[in-house]
Amino acid sequence: MAEAKQVTGPPVTIIEPIDMSQLDSKFRDEIRSMPNGEELAACFACSTCTAACPIANQWNYKPHQLIRMILLGMRSEVLSSKEIWECLTCFQCQERCPQKVRITDIFFDCKNLAAEEGKVPEKILALAKELVDKGQLYVVTAEWEREDLGLEPAVPGLSTDGIKQILRGTRTGRLAGGGT
Amino acid sequence: MGCSVPANYPNYEAAVMKVGEALGMEFEYMTDVSCCGSPNLRSIDYFGWLVVNGRTLAIAEKNGHDIVTPCNGCFGSLKDVQHHLKHDEKDRLRVNKELKKMGLEFKGTIKVRHIVEALYTDIGIEEIQRKITRPLDGVGVSIHYGCHLLRPTDVTEFKPEMLDELVRATGARVVEYPLWKQCCGATVLPANEPLAIRLARDKIRSMKEAGAEYATVVCPACGNQLDLQQIGLKDSYGEVYDLPVLLYPQMLALALGINEDAIGLRMNRVPADSMLAHLKG
Repeated sequence: MAEAKQVTGPPVTIIEPIDMSQLDSKFRDEIRSMPNGEELAACFACSTCTAACPIANQWNYKPHQLIRMILLGMRSEVLSSKEIWECLTCFQCQERCPQKVRITDIFFDCKNLAAEEGKVPEKILALAKELVDKGQLYVVTAEWEREDLGLEPAVPGLSTDGIKQILRGTRTGRLAGGGT
Repeated sequence: MGCSVPANYPNYEAAVMKVGEALGMEFEYMTDVSCCGSPNLRSIDYFGWLVVNGRTLAIAEKNGHDIVTPCNGCFGSLKDVQHHLKHDEKDRLRVNKELKKMGLEFKGTIKVRHIVEALYTDIGIEEIQRKITRPLDGVGVSIHYGCHLLRPTDVTEFKPEMLDELVRATGARVVEYPLWKQCCGATVLPANEPLAIRLARDKIRSMKEAGAEYATVVCPACGNQLDLQQIGLKDSYGEVYDLPVLLYPQMLALALGINEDAIGLRMNRVPADSMLAHLKG
């Protein structure tokens, strides 16, 4: 029988131990008070969400782990993760959760908390600016194309004032720096 | 109509109008509205997203019209906000406080539907079939429904079978493929572009391997990913798929005998000439 290999140094662990002094025990209640966050605590970590996610293979934190991290109170790790912003919002995880946890909706809640702290990816911030400045994400530039198809060159009824006015007064306006 | 269809896909807009005309549907452009804000607005500013879409819904209520949209982004936002405001009294009061300043109120009395749902329920498969003059005659079409048309099911209330039947009504054959539920990748473009391209590629490859000759979509963002992105795939993956992608109303228009120029078929990035050749027999 082969001799057991001598192990030196600290034991190999699968996951880095969590520094419990860094946990925010109120994080779970914060999420539960947000839109569609009520079912959060029903998660029993079955990982069905992760199996349903088309991009979990390239995430460091898988969907079921993110939900567990929220329950544990790993607020800063969740809110500064790239994963919440890469979520496709395809709702496949949420659709299949046997516990009816609204996972995709909860990731939207996490992004809102991150945005409140000013943590928004650059290109999404640029979209926020577009919305505040122009009141729409896409603006008609090729009027002739529309005319060729028998459509009005400008979109009938279009008015961007309403959306600009609303968003100047909400978080989007603050993120975009007050607009122009 | 939203912002993406009129700016980027006037061919989609024209096809919707032509099909509506041929089938006796009357559309009226909504006034004083613009963009739903997309899931990006929902991500950074949930309340702002509720007010923007609550306002659009309240304007439609005031005018006494249901909303029909050709865009999955608008559909998803409007349906989700309507669902949320109907079920969450606290947010409904908060949103209505803002809307009151504009002389509006959200009550939740109108219906929001995607154009394909309106075709299915208001016109119906039998009536559509009766008006088909140039059946697409068995061509194999894979359907990309788009995430925000299908899910969350309790919010969207849309059944994929509706679109299946609409495609079959044109005389085409539905080619099923393994990744039919998968996302096109459009939503992740701002956060991670290579990932978005990979998702589009997975989707197109899955259709092609299942034997699709064409693909059909009902959303400008999905259309962008599956049609325009095929050009990019030549560079990023060195792969050529040549899978023409038609907006569903374009397919239906062709089957109704409407001229291809009236629905801007030449604007589709992957040429759909083979469909025309097929129709001319």
